[in-house]
Amino acid sequence: MKRASSPHTATRIGLWSGVAFGLCFVTGLLSHLLQHPPGWFAWPTRPVGLYRVTQGVHVTAGVAAIPLLLAKLWTVHPKLFERPVVRSLPHALERGSIFVLLGASFFELVTGLFNAAQNYPWRFFFPPAHHAVAWIAVGSLLVHIAVKLPLMRTPAEQVRRGTLSRRGFLLTTGGAAAVAVLATAGGTVPWLRAVSVLGARSVELPVNRTAASARVSAVDDDWRLTVGARRFSRRELEALPQTTAELPIACVEGWSASARWTGVPVRDLLALAGVEPGDVRVESLERDGLYRASTLPAAHARDPSTLLALRVNGETLPLDHGYPCRLIAPSRPGVTQTKWVTRLEVVR
Amino acid sequence: MRWVIGAVGVVMGLWGAVLVLPLVDVDLALWFVAGPVVHDVLLAPLFAGVGLLVARWVPPRWRAAVLVGGTFTGVLVLLAVPLLWRPFAGSRNPGLLDRDYPVGLLVAVGVVWAAVLVTTAVVRERPRADR
Ligand code: HEM
Ligand code: HEM
Repeated sequence: MKRASSPHTATRIGLWSGVAFGLCFVTGLLSHLLQHPPGWFAWPTRPVGLYRVTQGVHVTAGVAAIPLLLAKLWTVHPKLFERPVVRSLPHALERGSIFVLLGASFFELVTGLFNAAQNYPWRFFFPPAHHAVAWIAVGSLLVHIAVKLPLMRTPAEQVRRGTLSRRGFLLTTGGAAAVAVLATAGGTVPWLRAVSVLGARSVELPVNRTAASARVSAVDDDWRLTVGARRFSRRELEALPQTTAELPIACVEGWSASARWTGVPVRDLLALAGVEPGDVRVESLERDGLYRASTLPAAHARDPSTLLALRVNGETLPLDHGYPCRLIAPSRPGVTQTKWVTRLEVVR
Repeated sequence: MRWVIGAVGVVMGLWGAVLVLPLVDVDLALWFVAGPVVHDVLLAPLFAGVGLLVARWVPPRWRAAVLVGGTFTGVLVLLAVPLLWRPFAGSRNPGLLDRDYPVGLLVAVGVVWAAVLVTTAVVRERPRADR
């Protein structure tokens, strides 16, 4: 079965994968900036589900890109095994850039997919590696587009011999991407939950880090929340005016779920303690781990729906959700929504 | 235009190289080359082989259905790998994997095959338009 080159189809599927990669790149960088904000970076508090959408798009577009990448490679199959391997210096550079593009693309898709399932068959630390290779993937993709630009206007192949017609092949590719999305997106799109048989976290309100794995045991009556010079018991917090807000937990791993949280706005607590508002460091009872403390940007600390939540969906906060109280702020990554809070401190 | 896109790409790629350099070890290098190598020596021949088998053994009327069903099945199986093959998973996390994935995979594959086979059986064969 000898197949000829088909630049028209390669461009079509290339464009689809290019869009998916672009979405992943932009949303991935946003997620990075949110977790490690440089001075110039500001992130809005509205809409409350903004991070839920950007990170959901990241993982969904990434999953869709897996069949797209394979379809792209199937289309250009004859070119990958062309002989001679190298014809000239420019040709060698082009082959090299294609190798880098493929290495980086597979790296991003496979490490991302495994990381979202908390499965780590490697020794490197995922976020910086996935981040660095993202630049290589998108950089080599732009080089690829520049190299192939003259071919993009090629008319559609007249006839493509084989079982599937050209249209049939494109439809199958789109169908495969749709199947991939339907099978996994339930973790972030509630009405797909029943359909997404390969989705992680299918319950109403998932728990990522349990109290046991954070080594936080039952909290007794001695617990106090420290805000500046003030200390509050849980009963004192309950006696303060309460606010209820519908806010999502949106994990960096792409799943998300919305809930009704009730508690005291952080800005009220700062005002009661008489401290000037600003960026707020939030500390947890957790003894160690990357996420035992977080910094709440001033804009979020000022927001009336940023709460120290005492209740969720009308019930006392369960220990696994952060009893005696947890931070819940609009439009923030889940890892920064610190649980088992003990201290709020304005840092600048 | 071409040159601008290419230059931006080169600069972004170099920035990625600067970021990745301090992280590089044998493990990361292997992960980088593994994708293209596994594709070229394993996936591509596998797909081509399946294509040939289908062309030889499956009656023409059912060939497209078998290829489409096979493609969708392959995608579902790939997506299930990180959920089912977990010797390297982080510590057990009860909130993470909270459904029966082997059964879910079988059901999804069953639905896919039922759909393509029923579609093929119902749609009367029309003269093949080749594009
Ligand atoms: C993630 C994205 C992409 C990957 C991994 C990818 C991969 C590839 C590979 C491996 C080839 C074979 C090249 C060769 O051996 O010479 C190829 C060819 C090609 N690609 Fe892409 N590509 C991607 C995106 C794009 C985009 C965005 C476009 C255009 C908008 C595009 C247009 C083309 C064209 C026109 C060819 C030539 C096909 C031929 O001559 O038969 N690709 N691509
Ligand atoms: C071409 C495709 C992709 C690109 C360019 C890309 C890019 C990025 C970037 C730049 C980050 C930020 C890393 C940081 O915080 O420093 C990121 C994070 C992430 N990506 Fe991707 N990504 C891609 C595909 C995927 C896929 C397919 C998945 C999963 C299905 C995925 C899952 C994740 C996860 C879970 C994070 C959060 C990491 C963390 O903060 O702990 N990515 N991605």
